[in-house]
Amino acid sequence: MSAAVTSRLTAAVCRQFQRVVTVSSYTQPQSATQAFSKLHLCQRSQTYDSWWFRSSVNNRALHTSCVRRGLEEFFDLPENWGEQTVKSGAPWTAKQLRVKSNEDLHRLWYVLLKEKNMLLTLEQESKRQRLPMPSPERLKKVERSMKRLDTVVTEREDALRLLQTGQERGRPGEWRRNVFGKTFWYRFKEHPIPWYLNSRYKRRRFFEPSHVAPYTRLSLEKYLRSKIRKEKREKRSQERLATIFPKKTALA
Amino acid sequence: MTPQETCSILNPRLLRIKMSYKMARSVSGSKLSDLIKYDMRYPLYQLGNPQLRIFRPTFNLTLVRPGKEQPPETVQFRIPMEMTKFDVRNYLEKIYSVPVAAVRTRIQYCTNKKRNHSNQRVKRPDYKVAYVQLAQQQTFQFPDIFPEKDKQHEEGSVEEMQEKFMEDERQRQKSDPRRGGVTEWFGL
Repeated sequence: MSAAVTSRLTAAVCRQFQRVVTVSSYTQPQSATQAFSKLHLCQRSQTYDSWWFRSSVNNRALHTSCVRRGLEEFFDLPENWGEQTVKSGAPWTAKQLRVKSNEDLHRLWYVLLKEKNMLLTLEQESKRQRLPMPSPERLKKVERSMKRLDTVVTEREDALRLLQTGQERGRPGEWRRNVFGKTFWYRFKEHPIPWYLNSRYKRRRFFEPSHVAPYTRLSLEKYLRSKIRKEKREKRSQERLATIFPKKTALA
Repeated sequence: MTPQETCSILNPRLLRIKMSYKMARSVSGSKLSDLIKYDMRYPLYQLGNPQLRIFRPTFNLTLVRPGKEQPPETVQFRIPMEMTKFDVRNYLEKIYSVPVAAVRTRIQYCTNKKRNHSNQRVKRPDYKVAYVQLAQQQTFQFPDIFPEKDKQHEEGSVEEMQEKFMEDERQRQKSDPRRGGVTEWFGL
């Protein structure tokens, strides 16, 4: 189990650790990788040899009836307890993640999730004990890795959807005009009843009343005016620069 | 682990992560898109629909030390507001393989009374607490994560030189031991 824990921690942040870690070691504990096989002491699922018992610090009055393998994952390895800094690798980049298969990304998501839970636990405990948290940059690294993983997965989902159905968005929607005359993208919501029976929806009014039309025209004119002014300003500045720095002197 | 094994079965109630504008503003600009992106609406559930399965849950659990004394089998978590008891149970059982007997939750309301330097009221965010009781007569004791460690700095390192310097400074600041604890105020 500790093999899974250590390998989980390294896989979470170390970008050099490219091999896949099998997190499904609860029912049949397997050796995660060859590198950590020496730490993997027990093959049977019945007995457990957790760090809880091996480390000399924690051999005080502990309950021995428990199997807290699961909850141990909310804490770091016992060697890192009390340290000022804990080493961690670089976060995963999107480029590295795009190479991975879907199953690998799925597993990595849970590895990162558990790492984040562990770091949040550590942060809260450090606040409680009024001590500095060791290496808080780990949290940012994990968050960024998770964000990038999500980006890669959504990219793949979008591509698949485009190929299969031609839909650009996963959630359907349409352009609508609200009461203020503004056009916006309305995203559809699921309802158990049709819209004409939905009194709250009918109060929303997706049309522009007639007295609002002059104001939309005015705002459109304002927008066009500002656009034209910006273009003219750009052109004027370019002409001014051309008079100061004429092309003939540049070429000569 | 196949996706079928690892996916957590969440309560098929309609969840909406309400991102208030104030909250969105308080977070840095780069995170605003994240908040909007995670504004998920789970599919509507009606009788006979298949079980909703979520791949890649975004919920984070924080194990906390209980403020008040709890029974030995109780573990205390801080969970996101949107999670339910069923979600907590499935989360722990599927992802951490912790056998759960019971889950009870409560919402901790935090103060809106504190004021900042410009006398604006500052809200401390609310959070949800879950008390999880473990099955199979298991117990859990929150460990001491910050034990005292005697650090031995290596020879010639920067930390050792710093320590030596601090020790010398402290020695210099100490008063003459021959005075027997009498302060410098008393003359001569």
